[in-house]
Amino acid sequence: MLLLGRKETENLKFSSPLASVSEYTLIDMLGVLLVSILAGFLGALTGLGGGSIMIPVLVAFNIPVKYAIAASMVTIIATSSGSAASYVRQRITNVKAAFYLETFTMTGAIIGATITSFIAPRFLYFFFAAFLLTSFFGLSGHMREDFPKQVRQDRFSKWLELQGSYYDQAAEGEVEYKMTNAGLGGLGMMVAGLAAGMLGIGAGAFKVSVHELVLKMPSKVSSTTSNFIIGITALAGASVYFASGLIFIGLAAPMAIGTTIGAVLGGRILNRFPNRVIRYLFLVIVFALIVQMLYKGITLQ
Amino acid sequence: MSEVSGKREETLDLSISYILIVGVIASVLFEIVGIFGYYYSNRDLSIVFAPDFALRGSNFFAYAAQTIQALLFRKWTSISVLAFGLVLLIITPYVRVVVSVAYFGLARNVKYLLITLFVLTTLTASLLLH
Repeated sequence: MLLLGRKETENLKFSSPLASVSEYTLIDMLGVLLVSILAGFLGALTGLGGGSIMIPVLVAFNIPVKYAIAASMVTIIATSSGSAASYVRQRITNVKAAFYLETFTMTGAIIGATITSFIAPRFLYFFFAAFLLTSFFGLSGHMREDFPKQVRQDRFSKWLELQGSYYDQAAEGEVEYKMTNAGLGGLGMMVAGLAAGMLGIGAGAFKVSVHELVLKMPSKVSSTTSNFIIGITALAGASVYFASGLIFIGLAAPMAIGTTIGAVLGGRILNRFPNRVIRYLFLVIVFALIVQMLYKGITLQ
Repeated sequence: MSEVSGKREETLDLSISYILIVGVIASVLFEIVGIFGYYYSNRDLSIVFAPDFALRGSNFFAYAAQTIQALLFRKWTSISVLAFGLVLLIITPYVRVVVSVAYFGLARNVKYLLITLFVLTTLTASLLLH
């Protein structure tokens, strides 16, 4: 199988003669589909999301990083919408908070995706590795409170009607909550959107941190609302990649099918794994992905 | 929250939930059919990086219309089926924003009507960009 140097694959231009990627890379649609199922599965188990795993894997198969990011952005719409549907129906997601916060993530995603369309690929590898490093901090998630107590709602959050209630099965009762710091939370979400649009990921861990630490959302409301918001963040990023002509059908389609199937499977068996196993799995995967992206960034000509 | 507005919000939540699930399932089905079709016509599953194999057009809505037209009035090709699957996927969250704007308009909730309108306008402008 013919393999070109990295520089040549990074520099593939639309003006070049029709070029089958399989001549330059080690993967075809079936391969992308199978790897995506695994990535979606592991992404759902570890909470990393399919995109964070798929992009470094595709890059390892010599897919240009910008094409991988653009395809991942479309794929995220499928996984986010698929899981958000059931949480919205169960009324755990706070739809009003989501709409308010989407105005920030969407703006951040458009700026981030625009930067990616113009930036040299080398920087993307380093940004991606840096972002994965921050995921380690997500491990401190267990330090947060499940149900923040005595939240004093500020005037702006009250005006935005950022409160709600849902039925918590584990607590076997209705949980009422109030949010606060809507202004600061909005700025945090802008940063999350910027990272998501730029790197083709959901940035769910970052969003959840802002929700819980700044806005004081209960943890279940936080993760489900984050999932709901990710769909719009991804759409905003995908719109820029569409305009840049970076979304390739043969890459995005099998990725969307694979990660959706993988995420459904992962979500179904998540509760059967002990937390300790999941945590080790998370650390091993994130470490391998960081090494892979740094290696690519350093060795890129 | 009054009982009436609580019921109304439940209707919005249900509508959004159905839009999301129907959009994702339909798009995945089209993509599966498209991949089988691609293999059937080419006996090969290579990924091609070329303009004809990218989602591109004067703007996203024009591209979506062109893809639907191709399916309705011309011969189905595996690439047009795959493209339609991706268009369905991309349009799914957009539709849920449109429905939310309509909901908050009907509920006369000016605050959230303006917030959702801002989201809709920005997304529309971004999808019209080229």
